[in-house]
Amino acid sequence: MMVIKSARLRTVLRWLIPFVLIPTAVIVGLLVLEQRQHLLVTLAVVLLSLLLFLCSFEKRAVGVRRQVIIAVMVALSVAGRFIPFFKPVTALTVITGAYLGGESGFLVGALAAVISNFYFGQGPWTPFQMLAWGLIGLFAGLLSQPLRRSRAAIIVYGVISGIVYSAVMDVWTVLSYDSGFTWSLYGAALLTALPHTALYAVSNFIFLWLCARPFGEKLERVKKKYGV
Amino acid sequence: MRPFEDYNPFVHLVYFVSCSAIVMFFLQPVTVVLSLLGALSLFFVRRRLAEGRSHLYSLALFLVMALLNPLFNHNGATVLLLINHNPITLEAVVYGIFAAAMLLAVLYWFRTFSQIMSSDKLLYLFGGVSPKLALILSMALRYVPLFAKQAKRVNDTQRAMGLYREENLIDNTRAGARVFSVMVTWGLENGIVTADSMSARGYGIGKRTQYTLYRFYRTDVLLLCTTLLLLSIVVVGGALGALDMQWYPTLRLPRTDALALVTYVAYALLSFLPTILEIGERARWNCLQSRI
Repeated sequence: MMVIKSARLRTVLRWLIPFVLIPTAVIVGLLVLEQRQHLLVTLAVVLLSLLLFLCSFEKRAVGVRRQVIIAVMVALSVAGRFIPFFKPVTALTVITGAYLGGESGFLVGALAAVISNFYFGQGPWTPFQMLAWGLIGLFAGLLSQPLRRSRAAIIVYGVISGIVYSAVMDVWTVLSYDSGFTWSLYGAALLTALPHTALYAVSNFIFLWLCARPFGEKLERVKKKYGV
Repeated sequence: MRPFEDYNPFVHLVYFVSCSAIVMFFLQPVTVVLSLLGALSLFFVRRRLAEGRSHLYSLALFLVMALLNPLFNHNGATVLLLINHNPITLEAVVYGIFAAAMLLAVLYWFRTFSQIMSSDKLLYLFGGVSPKLALILSMALRYVPLFAKQAKRVNDTQRAMGLYREENLIDNTRAGARVFSVMVTWGLENGIVTADSMSARGYGIGKRTQYTLYRFYRTDVLLLCTTLLLLSIVVVGGALGALDMQWYPTLRLPRTDALALVTYVAYALLSFLPTILEIGERARWNCLQSRI
């Protein structure tokens, strides 16, 4: 899936971001560290790595159909949040990653974050959510063989990624409180978020337990029938 | 002069990114207060007192964050009181208040930004760089309300068929899963039909056009240049140390020499720019109306 149109821009960014821009941001951040601008530096690095992922997606012979399927999965994961007891973003991202590949998984996770925040509020946390959910989808794509083979594997992956997601978002919470990262504050944030995290893990567990197989089969079927 | 909302989306993007970046970058009492006032005045000039309850939520967030810093951060020389042998210091309290105010300012900049930046503007901005991403984004945005409506329809049908009782957690969960499963099948098939229809009409052949056209008018250039000029004054002033601030171990007041004053004025102008435009436009409207 080639996301950025101009080939020149893609190549330039692919080299510039990891070797020039991210080091520059970190070094500048270190130099002004006494003024405590961790939040801004982290935000810059997160945005740049999002861009890096989007640049590295290569051209693939896929038509409109795959794009539309990704749009459908994004919309389903956002619309699913309106059904009570369901928080299906993580689970659907995992399923998409496992059955349609890591790039689609990344896009579904990242875009679901943007679009659900149109309803639940945009903010500086949006890039963090995008990166966290995107990476969950990307790794699901890399682990697609074992994840597709057993239901236990996909459930374990989903629950773990739900917990990791909460942990990553707590880093953002800590950075926003104090503009400085302290372990004691991070521990406190993790502790206060514990009920949330537990609920999230349980909901992921139930969702994947009920839906991983049937949804996977549906995606497989669409893939076979229409040659996505 | 036009109301702020009608300017080119690119101008909006530059304006809001600079406003929220400088308030995060220069954490200093004067600038934080200026930025917060600017963000709040823009929000209330545009929205009046709509969404009253959400402001209470923001206020609660502000209080929690202001309180958290002194509880976890024990730097600072002036000890106010001891809790569990941990000192609560004046410096940490003051820092917490201003850090929370900074976050509140960012929150309100973003709120106005997402009200102004509708989805078609977003597509206008990013459609040129990444047409595929823009397409996926716009389709997903359209599908969300469609799916929500369809999900409700499926749910109502299932309930009318007596497939589950209410007030039963397990039944409800299973019913939710069933509805969602129906939605996935329906959505995927629906999507394929859409995709085929798009291909049949020649999607992807030739350049993508926009539904809404935004041109760069002279006022757009003017506003963009003003924003960038004020931003560079603030950044240069900040780089020269005009916005330096010492929080720990003891508070030192922000600078008030000539350079600092120039920077503050630029910062204030930048923060209140859209509010001034809105109020000016409204005044002109009232004035023209009364003359007719």
